[in-house]
Amino acid sequence: MNAVSNALWNPIVAKEYRTRMRTWRSPFAITVYILLLGGLGWAAFSLIVASTSQAFGAGSGSNYGQLLFTFLIIFQVALLGFITPALTAGAISGERERQTIDLLFVTPISPFSIIWGKLLASMSFVILLLVLSIPIFSLVFLFGGIELDQVVYAFAVTGATALTLGFIGIAFSTLFRRTLPATVAAYGAAFVLFVGFFAYGYVFPTEADPSVTIAPAPPAVTLISPVVPLLAIASNQPIQGYGIRYKDGSQGPYLNKGVPAQAGLCGPTVNGGVTCSSAVYQFSFATGTTLPSGLFAGWQYWQASILMQLLICAVALLVSALVLPPVRRFRPWRRDAPRPGRRMRSS
Amino acid sequence: MIAVEQLTKVYGNRSALDHVSFEVPEREIFGFVGPNGAGKTTTLRILAALLEPTGGKAFIDGADVTKQRERVHMRIGYMPDFFGVYDQLTVGEYLDFYAACYRQSKRRRQKIVEDLLALVGMIDRKHQLVDTLSRGLKQRVCLARALVHDPAVLLLDEPASGLDPRARVEMREILKELQGMGKTIVISSHILPELTDLCTMIGIIDRGRMRATGPVREVIAGLATGRRLRINVIGEKDAAIEILTPLESIRHVESVNGAIEAEYVGDERAAADILFALTGAGIRVSSFTPVDGGLEDAFLKATSEEVG
Repeated sequence: MNAVSNALWNPIVAKEYRTRMRTWRSPFAITVYILLLGGLGWAAFSLIVASTSQAFGAGSGSNYGQLLFTFLIIFQVALLGFITPALTAGAISGERERQTIDLLFVTPISPFSIIWGKLLASMSFVILLLVLSIPIFSLVFLFGGIELDQVVYAFAVTGATALTLGFIGIAFSTLFRRTLPATVAAYGAAFVLFVGFFAYGYVFPTEADPSVTIAPAPPAVTLISPVVPLLAIASNQPIQGYGIRYKDGSQGPYLNKGVPAQAGLCGPTVNGGVTCSSAVYQFSFATGTTLPSGLFAGWQYWQASILMQLLICAVALLVSALVLPPVRRFRPWRRDAPRPGRRMRSS
Repeated sequence: MIAVEQLTKVYGNRSALDHVSFEVPEREIFGFVGPNGAGKTTTLRILAALLEPTGGKAFIDGADVTKQRERVHMRIGYMPDFFGVYDQLTVGEYLDFYAACYRQSKRRRQKIVEDLLALVGMIDRKHQLVDTLSRGLKQRVCLARALVHDPAVLLLDEPASGLDPRARVEMREILKELQGMGKTIVISSHILPELTDLCTMIGIIDRGRMRATGPVREVIAGLATGRRLRINVIGEKDAAIEILTPLESIRHVESVNGAIEAEYVGDERAAADILFALTGAGIRVSSFTPVDGGLEDAFLKATSEEVG
């Protein structure tokens, strides 16, 4: 218990809170974040209303809510993609540049606690941003179309993405001695996480037999990108046509090879006969946000996404913890000491 | 208290430390002297368990610096040659942070901060932001930081560098007070005259090799193979040179600006014998002055010789 409380609350966390919140940068960042998110929410809502009223003069409230939620949640995760690397990429390299890292290394605080303290402080700020965005997201409930559990899952995926970017930022901050290359690398990693894994679904989609009646899931790695699970959560269904390629080159079973979802309606005629309307064919892709196939078959999109992101976090933490200590235990390339009397080139 | 045995550090094919050995008993102030790049910082970083030696061993109060790092860290207070401070923290908060890092309780931390600020004479600066302090005051705060856990050993890497003369005197006074408190102190510097008064022991390092180590007087005597005397006599200068030249302790005699300069081997006793030889021969000596530079002279001699 003592070890856990030490890990969760070490002096670095308190110091980081103090120094972070005393500058003008934090309130400024919070203000800009809320203004951008609120502004985009308003702009998206205006666009949705304008487009639907032009089309038919009426759009259902639930569609408004769902579209607005989709815009907000994607924009929020993108904003965090810009903010989180900036919060963490300088965490360790900044200590090196400020020449304060040795003063920490000579204290009994373990390198793991240093990493954890830095991460906890940065992630607390991200959580603060997420909490502050809740009132904006609550507007979605005015229109309906979004359930509370969808919001919770979407925030969980968003939080996991911010955490992953935080861990990656810290890892690069320990790997690079300077903050600038660490920041560039962290933003590069954020781009790969968001766009790279999403694009993977288009470049290397799941090969499927067109005779299948239910469209398969996109490749598992595409779920590392928060875009795929967030769109699935917001629309409560998979992204249609994403990450799947049918072997015969067709667009899949749902265009012309679907199974009858509803038999023709039959009824008596006035002269005692029977007449039937033609059968109704409709799409037969998977419904809901359960992955129908693949590595995570039966899992929810958000579950698979969070699990994979947490695995990345674990790898990043391991790298950070191995690289940070000034005297490393694990060092296979360690040199042997020269023998006394052996002549070395002196400085 | 501190034992260094055959310490070696190699970077690539460059030797930063070449089998360095020395010992510092308890309550001594050990002056670690050497020119820039001699290996002082490397040695201190190894002693602070911040750097792994390529070979050799080092112990702080019996704790091996490579195997018992946490024990070493609890016994040392380390002040690096270059250090930074956190912005947006006051002096009191800065010291409180490091005291918390050493797992001191909150109640105890308050007393530690007050006591240390009193020790370094900065009690009135407690609420000032630490990054707005002058360099001299930052050095003092950093010294206070090294003391938050009351370590038995202080490793101070160039604590007086970049300070004005007044700040240096103040730093020296604080160090003397710490010596009085029973701390064992290792202090590195290339500002030699400061260490002559302060240190009880000295080690001279050059190009990674320890050239001399021991009590200050012994090291100076051991290295001073050619101490110089400036002698003024009334008339009879040539006669005085004739008397000096055959003496066993005399290495070289010359006339410089009307005075006689004589290089000799030995300690004060040898100098007294030289004076006795002159006055015994009826030479009227008006002044008899040693012109050696003390520690600085010994240092220059030690470091000017070719290594190996």
